[in-house]
Amino acid sequence: MTMTESDDRGFKRDLLASLPNLRAFAVSLTGRHDKADDLVQDTIMKAWANQTSFTAGTNMRAWLFTILRNEFYSQMRKRGREVQDTDGLFSERFSVHPEQYGRLDLQDFRKALDKLPDDQREAIILVGAAGFAYEEAATICGCAVGTIKSRVSRARSRLQELLGVSGEGDFGPDAGHAAITARAFGG
Amino acid sequence: MSDKTRNKQDMTISHNEIKPGSMPPNASISRKLREFYDAVQEEGIPDRFLDLLEKLDEAERNTKSVKVK
Repeated sequence: MTMTESDDRGFKRDLLASLPNLRAFAVSLTGRHDKADDLVQDTIMKAWANQTSFTAGTNMRAWLFTILRNEFYSQMRKRGREVQDTDGLFSERFSVHPEQYGRLDLQDFRKALDKLPDDQREAIILVGAAGFAYEEAATICGCAVGTIKSRVSRARSRLQELLGVSGEGDFGPDAGHAAITARAFGG
Repeated sequence: MSDKTRNKQDMTISHNEIKPGSMPPNASISRKLREFYDAVQEEGIPDRFLDLLEKLDEAERNTKSVKVK
């Protein structure tokens, strides 16, 4: 199968259109913009080299996410999971680029997200933020739909725990809501 | 925060370790997740990727024209 010139342009256009979302996924996985951008670059090279294996008309975004995810885990394996000290990693991340995470409450959220196991984090990101259906997320992660559903559910529970403990009263509109609730029920 | 408040929440939430400050938990978490993600998306595409795609494109065109000859 050979690609026509117009398929070719379409490939580049669709790749570009997917990049912001793909990059946000990379930041979610790596926790750092610099590493995320290296990962995105590797993904672009891989995708470009393998563009004939992409079936035109199918979901390019899911295809790219799959490549990026595989690349991420294969690089992690190669490094022998050099970073196990997650607390140390947080401090490194946030001392290097604190401004990149914007508002303070989002930084708290980012930290909580980083505390999730990799499989739960990627599941909740794919379904809750990147806009994939459970079925698509399952394809990207190479697992059953039920597995994705249970990972998302566990991720939510864990985030609730983490943010409930560290973020009480820091949730903007929710803090007001909590105060009203407390008054209403005699807290 | 009293147990009374917590019991009230337990009627809708099965996890009893959730503190009242995080209510409503799922709405809040979904919103923050998207806010965090969208913040990165809105940064747009760094120039290095545009340059890279331009180079890849160019390299491919050159290869093709060489093959044709």
